[in-house]
Amino acid sequence: MHRVVAAIAATQTNLRPAAFFDENGSGMSVTAQLPNRREILTEVRRSGYRPVAVLPYHYPRALLRAHGFHPVELWGPPDVPRDEGSRHFQPYTCDIVVRATSFLLRGGLDGVDALLVPHTCDALQGMGSVVGDFGPVAPPVLTLYLPRGERPADREFLVAELRRLAAALEEIGGRTPSVVDWDEAFGAEDAADRALAGLYDRRAGLAATDREFYTVVRAREYLTAEAFSALAGSVPEGEPPGGVPVMLSGIVPEPMTLFDHLAKMGARVVADDLACGGRRRYDPPAGGDPFERTADRILSGPPDPTRGAPIAARAARLVEQMEKTGARGLLIYDVKFCEPELFDVPLLRSRLVEEGFGVLHVEVEMGTELPQQTLTRIEAFVETLQ
Amino acid sequence: MSLGARLRHLAAYRLAGRAALALNRRREERAADRRPVDPTRALTPPLRSSARMRQMMSEHYLEGRHASGVRPVAWVTSGAPAEILKALDFFIIYPENHAALCGARRHAQALCEAAEDAGYSRDICSYARTDIGTALTGNTPVGRLPPPDLLLCCTNICQTVLYWYRVLADHYGCPLVLVDTPFQYRETPLEHEVAYVRRQLEEIVPVAEKVAGRRFSEERFTEVVAEAKAASELWLEILERARHRPAPLTAFDAFTHLGPIVDMRGDAETTGYYRSMLAEIDRRIADGVGAVREERHRVLWDNLPIWYRIGSLSRWLAERGVNVVASTYTHAWGELAPLMDPSDTFGSMARVYMHPILNRSAGQKLDAMRRMVGEFEADGVILHSDRSCKPYSLGQIDQRDGLVNQVGVPALLLDADHNDPRAYAEEQAAGRLEAFVEMMAR
Repeated sequence: MHRVVAAIAATQTNLRPAAFFDENGSGMSVTAQLPNRREILTEVRRSGYRPVAVLPYHYPRALLRAHGFHPVELWGPPDVPRDEGSRHFQPYTCDIVVRATSFLLRGGLDGVDALLVPHTCDALQGMGSVVGDFGPVAPPVLTLYLPRGERPADREFLVAELRRLAAALEEIGGRTPSVVDWDEAFGAEDAADRALAGLYDRRAGLAATDREFYTVVRAREYLTAEAFSALAGSVPEGEPPGGVPVMLSGIVPEPMTLFDHLAKMGARVVADDLACGGRRRYDPPAGGDPFERTADRILSGPPDPTRGAPIAARAARLVEQMEKTGARGLLIYDVKFCEPELFDVPLLRSRLVEEGFGVLHVEVEMGTELPQQTLTRIEAFVETLQ
Repeated sequence: MSLGARLRHLAAYRLAGRAALALNRRREERAADRRPVDPTRALTPPLRSSARMRQMMSEHYLEGRHASGVRPVAWVTSGAPAEILKALDFFIIYPENHAALCGARRHAQALCEAAEDAGYSRDICSYARTDIGTALTGNTPVGRLPPPDLLLCCTNICQTVLYWYRVLADHYGCPLVLVDTPFQYRETPLEHEVAYVRRQLEEIVPVAEKVAGRRFSEERFTEVVAEAKAASELWLEILERARHRPAPLTAFDAFTHLGPIVDMRGDAETTGYYRSMLAEIDRRIADGVGAVREERHRVLWDNLPIWYRIGSLSRWLAERGVNVVASTYTHAWGELAPLMDPSDTFGSMARVYMHPILNRSAGQKLDAMRRMVGEFEADGVILHSDRSCKPYSLGQIDQRDGLVNQVGVPALLLDADHNDPRAYAEEQAAGRLEAFVEMMAR
């Protein structure tokens, strides 16, 4: 069996993890020694890049890199209290926005050169607007409007919007990318996209627990492209732990102890439709104008409510993924007040039940631990699938 | 178009229905004329125009009951470019207006619960839950809503409408046309944003033509835009008359008279209605009649109304000498008028439909409130923190701070929900409003 030792040797190899999965006969366990976001900020700066904090969840990684920026994503974090954020947002605002604001106000990402808030939903629109207009956080606030369709007009607009973002980055960073910069950025980021897709493709043959697997998937949120590619490539092949196969949908699986609980309950996550995971399985095109290429990458993702995909298309993809991976049920795991997710739930449930799959929907407030009531519901759901 | 449907439309709507509603209006007007003025009431008698407004809205929904098979039916969001569909003679339903009507008539909670029983979370917009409840049960205070042949969704008020209309598209199996309007973080829209919206507006035409089975007429479209502009200008004039002291109307009056400018913008009858309403308001000003008998405090309202409390809140405030003279919400349908240009229909509409206050940043909204406080000489601001409308509400905490600290007026954040009465705590709200009125009195 394998022991995960994901260590970073940033000072030696420009944020490339030195060692990942080592053989160890003592059974499967995780010692995730990945660097934290703050360590990454320091190392990014040391290696000549400018760190930019990015809110969820579609954004142009290669464009940032070509302009000399490195993204560090903010999905809460769940262990930061809502207090400071609550001075700007009402109690019915989603945890990601409120806790991310708290985190920024507490200096959690002091030293970033900019904050990028993609227009993912009304809550993030509100955050971009409040932090941009009322200035509770120091760095310049950049926005990116993501079109809600895949029509030619949407693509054309997105290309122009990306050019606008690039101009703003040039202003902050003072760097206009050369052809070489673009090529280098696409080379690294496309490889990391492929590495993420490869992880999913190889999943049934990876000797990793769900917690380990998603620790690696989510490392894409802050590691450099090279570090992530190396990390993803190091997950050893072998027999994954057993369990009732389920699919997971939602925005973000926080707290990550969810996976430990699922394992104890006898479930195994074999596929996902997570905003921080499977919905970012892009199919990056090769070559062409860098802005068009970047737009096409974002538009190539799977059906997604935040990009206006029809519910039927989303349901069809879920069914296809579940059939392909043998998942018996779908756990819809939503952050409270997440309208893009909540509107789809009844129709997704009805389509999947028609196809013979079990469905459970839970709404959670982000925190360091899941409430017992939620765990009991999930446990009962897993039992029904067994 | 079936002959049976046409006959029903003719008999039930055009002949019997309209005649009965006209008779009812005359009866209401006569009753209003005969009603003695009660000097003990804090509110002066309602506008006589209310009877005509009720007639128009009733006719609209009555026609809706019989529209299927006679006219193509479109359901559109309140900020959508309906003028294009009007030019193709679509019968238009605004689900948000229907939901508000359900809220005002206290039907919304039961409909929300029907949607919740079907799995829709209580945390999603109560307008959406109300209308989904109607779609699932068929229950509505207007008798029947005609199912849509086309859905037109414009994101200039929120992204919620897109999630909601995706559900409707699935339920009714009809085409959904999207007009995606980039959120305005800046004062002026950028050229690529205008081009994007314009292209989408133009792309509505072939889809709508196909559904309607007729050709789009640029000439007719220009007429509709000109009519919509005229009605919007009159609406703005009406609202601006509340600058007068005492204000001849309250924002609560404006909330209830909003129906035609939302639902029937572009119809000559709507323009005529607002013209006569403006004349009535001018008569009030000439006679020195205020909407609140003893107007001691003038207040600005932010966000949607609390539909199920409009009457009681209006009376409660009036009894304390408070006139809510203006609202950011009702102004949204008026302030677009100057941007409309019948000589550049699609170009000007692209700018118009990106401009609603809900599509602009929190800072721009604070600027708008600051300006309105000055123009309407408001002594305070009530910001309805609307659990259901996150895009309107997020930012209000900083806006309130800005109003208090920069403008120097008391500002209250009032927790409620525009359509779901379960999110409104009567006693708590009354306590906070009492304290707010006291602050203005100091």
